[in-house]
Amino acid sequence: MINKRWGFAATAAVAAGILLVGCSGSSTPSESEATSDEPVTLTYWDFLDPSQDNPRAKALKDNIAGFEAANPNISVELAVVSLGDMLSRLPQAAAAGQAPDVFKMFTPTVPQMAAAGAYSPLPSAASEIDDWLRPADNLVGPDGAQVAVPYEYRTCAFYYNEKILAEIGASVPTTYDEVVEVAGKAAAAGYAGFGTGFSDTDNSAVISTFFDCFMSQVDQEIWNEDGEADFATKKGEEFGNFLADLRDVGGLPTSVVSDSYGTVSDGLLNGTVAMSVLGTERIVTYATQNPDLKWAPLPLASTGDETGTTIGWTMGIGAGSKHVDAAWKFIEYMTGAEAGTNLATGGEVPTRASTYEEAFFSTPEADTVNSIAEYVESNSEPHGYSDNWIGLATGLSHAGQELFLNGLSGSEFIKSAQDAANQ
Amino acid sequence: MSITREPSTEVTGLAAGSGVPVVRRPRKDRLVWLYVVPVSAVFLFVFIGPLIYTAWTALHETTYYEIGEFSGLNSFVELFSDPSLPAQIGITLMFSVGALVIALPAGLLSAIVLNGLHRFKRTVRSLFLLTWLMSQATAGTIWLWFLNPNFGPATAITTSLGFGPTDVFSSPTTALIAVTLITAWWSYPQAMLLFLGALQTVPEELYESLKVDGGGIWRSFFNITLPYLRNTIVSVVIVLLMLYVQMVTIILVTTRGGPLGATETLSMSVYNQTFVEFDLSGASATALLLFAINIVLTLVAIRFRRKETL
Repeated sequence: MINKRWGFAATAAVAAGILLVGCSGSSTPSESEATSDEPVTLTYWDFLDPSQDNPRAKALKDNIAGFEAANPNISVELAVVSLGDMLSRLPQAAAAGQAPDVFKMFTPTVPQMAAAGAYSPLPSAASEIDDWLRPADNLVGPDGAQVAVPYEYRTCAFYYNEKILAEIGASVPTTYDEVVEVAGKAAAAGYAGFGTGFSDTDNSAVISTFFDCFMSQVDQEIWNEDGEADFATKKGEEFGNFLADLRDVGGLPTSVVSDSYGTVSDGLLNGTVAMSVLGTERIVTYATQNPDLKWAPLPLASTGDETGTTIGWTMGIGAGSKHVDAAWKFIEYMTGAEAGTNLATGGEVPTRASTYEEAFFSTPEADTVNSIAEYVESNSEPHGYSDNWIGLATGLSHAGQELFLNGLSGSEFIKSAQDAANQ
Repeated sequence: MSITREPSTEVTGLAAGSGVPVVRRPRKDRLVWLYVVPVSAVFLFVFIGPLIYTAWTALHETTYYEIGEFSGLNSFVELFSDPSLPAQIGITLMFSVGALVIALPAGLLSAIVLNGLHRFKRTVRSLFLLTWLMSQATAGTIWLWFLNPNFGPATAITTSLGFGPTDVFSSPTTALIAVTLITAWWSYPQAMLLFLGALQTVPEELYESLKVDGGGIWRSFFNITLPYLRNTIVSVVIVLLMLYVQMVTIILVTTRGGPLGATETLSMSVYNQTFVEFDLSGASATALLLFAINIVLTLVAIRFRRKETL
């Protein structure tokens, strides 16, 4: 009988233990800030997979190796997380005290992730860096404090297939009205006239980035002072009208409702899409993979402006990081001259002036990245974002689907997107 | 020859003041708690706990994943006043029943074919199981690539036949049909496996007797196979319905609920509310509705099961 009672007691203890372990908050072995000599392992989330065979992935791999060699007591544990997953997982991880020490984030979503509590404040050392090529005052949290630094710059560019345009006897369009006209001709010749996508499977990447640049071109603020979406104006309508006109001339691909960044990009590479507006980060890849693909500044909007918005990837420190100093060391290295030079070999635009003093940028190999950097500097300006970019991007996708499938007008499109963003 | 003895009941004394003998359960019976307690603890931890937490979340305001103030039934009021709710329930039923109607006969037919095979049985069974062995994300991605209107192999085939590109995910109707078919394609081996197990329990003598009596294939199917499989069919219906009603991954990878919400089932809505709108409270309310629908569907299916097996 005694044995049985012990058995019951042991069982109950085990069961209670399971429950208690499950219910208790997680704790890390080292709760204190590591001193500079102690070995530290940083967790780092990036969307790039360094095992892939492309220049950007190779640059990331080299940069992490370079940082570890320069800081033998710090190792970096990289987790490859797509942007979509990052947007959903970061707030969860932060709420559970499991945010990575360092992560990359796309400029427009920084304020939203900050509002979701995903960031730690940057250390005071961050304010000592003063050679950012663009002001970083849009990378802030709800309290206005900076939470991230720029890692790479980009803006929108106009891509076109020279061969297709020659085949249909069209010259490179310089206004959005001309884009509509040429897209109609290309569609009549069996091509997708203007590649864009209304799918939200990839967080509406194509349409939201294009919208962001277009609003800069027409000098339309996206949010009002209260942080509410407020772009359904005459200027904002111009974007909707452009899409509606493209639809009316058959210039949008029939698959536009399900097209995403990947399919539009593949269509350009495969020579089935005549024109598109995408980020400058694709310039080097396209040049090497399809010589018919060329790029030009954005077509002029009614304002006569071709200036888009400066966006790009940023780096920040995760909420509750126990290794803030080491994390900042890593960020400082990744945005520094050595890593920036590596980054540039992959076609990405480094963000600090000091990087461009490296010898590489005076060589012919750097001509392309130098020209992209000049274009980003002369043809884009950064602006602030509210903490609801994901809602706005999804709203644009859904409004685009309605525009194509239900025949919404340009003004109805822009109103629908605005309403969705304010829901 | 072995003799088993029924456990006898011990009478150990009289209940105080009642004169009624106190009956203590035999030791063997009491030992059962050793097994029941851990199982109950785990059940509490992985099911009851999360269920209570979901209900708790639905009754509170949330900001991202932080639970705020008590909000009563607000999230349920919002849920039931949402004009898209009836459409989402309709889509969930169309998707689930549609996939079931395809996967159930496909699974049964495959099982019958496999059961009748005498050579290469293992190889063929492995081939049939291949689709189920791949993850839902992989299945969705493969079909997304295959049906891509710009460069997918399906487009190459249909274009060469003069039908134009396969643009299935761009229209609400075809998108729903496509995700239903992909889900049925991925899941039918699960039904096949369950049917195959059940078919192997049908006594061969019954088929032989029927054959002697002049019965053909159809008679043996309707008079022997189907009655023997009745309970398995109900089980398969329940398992598959649960799977379909809760399906997220294939829809997420292919359409994410679009276009125009045409493939947004209740499960997909829970996902979108949680990870796109960051509305944890609303998502919890929808999840509880989904749970209720699951229970109703299961109870309906169980009613068709033979009483003696319950």
